[in-house]
Amino acid sequence: MTSDTRPVEPPPSRDEGPRSAPPFVGQVVSGAVLIVLLGLHMVAQHFIVPSGLRFYDDVIEWLSNPVMVAIEVAFLVFVTYHALVGVRAILFDFGFGKRTERLITNLLWVVGIVTVVYGVALLAAILNAA
Amino acid sequence: MATTVDRPRPAAGGEEGRRGATGWFDPRGRRMGGLAFILNRLTGIGLVLYLYLHLVILSMLARGPEAWDQFVDIALSPPFLALDVLLLTGLLIHGLNGIRVGLVGLGFVASRQRAMFIALMVVAALVAIAGALRIFSGE
Repeated sequence: MTSDTRPVEPPPSRDEGPRSAPPFVGQVVSGAVLIVLLGLHMVAQHFIVPSGLRFYDDVIEWLSNPVMVAIEVAFLVFVTYHALVGVRAILFDFGFGKRTERLITNLLWVVGIVTVVYGVALLAAILNAA
Repeated sequence: MATTVDRPRPAAGGEEGRRGATGWFDPRGRRMGGLAFILNRLTGIGLVLYLYLHLVILSMLARGPEAWDQFVDIALSPPFLALDVLLLTGLLIHGLNGIRVGLVGLGFVASRQRAMFIALMVVAALVAIAGALRIFSGE
């Protein structure tokens, strides 16, 4: 067997060392949570509702259940975190300085918060419009 | 502990350094771990784009039933269904490969990661095919 069977040690990088461990663990934990939430999301929306939750009335009825709203909001929070930590890792590979990396991290926090706030506001607007 | 498990191994002679900041995208000379890393990033980028596209699409629900049901008619056309299959495939590859990355990164099954990658991608292919059949059959 070739060396492919061994863990691949990363080359020296700005995103290495102890400070990269929390984002990696965060990615693993949020990824695990997402697998569960995505499973619920897919099964609930595509297997429980006979039409596959396509039509407006079905969607509104679905969203009027507080448990489903909680699952969708949790899904949005975790998927946004997981996505933006991934974007951060890709951006850090460009080899920016520490100051720029901090700026990127802060900007991504803003993007993440705006995304979640927009998603929750959208949910409220959908339910209010119904 | 390797915190970014599948980051491509630097090639002899410092080739990784010559690949530049977007070198991770270059599949030439990669072993399977490196190819898995590229696949994970490409599917991840696609899924990030889909996340925001999904939010835009869902905003049609706030415009009322007519806007939403018109969109659903378009979404049931074969080109859109093909995009659904692409989305499902991307989710399966990213999710299943992510399980492997997480396990290996946390120190589990490191000696079996190549076999695990192949097995998980076979599962991804089978589920994607089953999903495609279900999506196009209109069930």
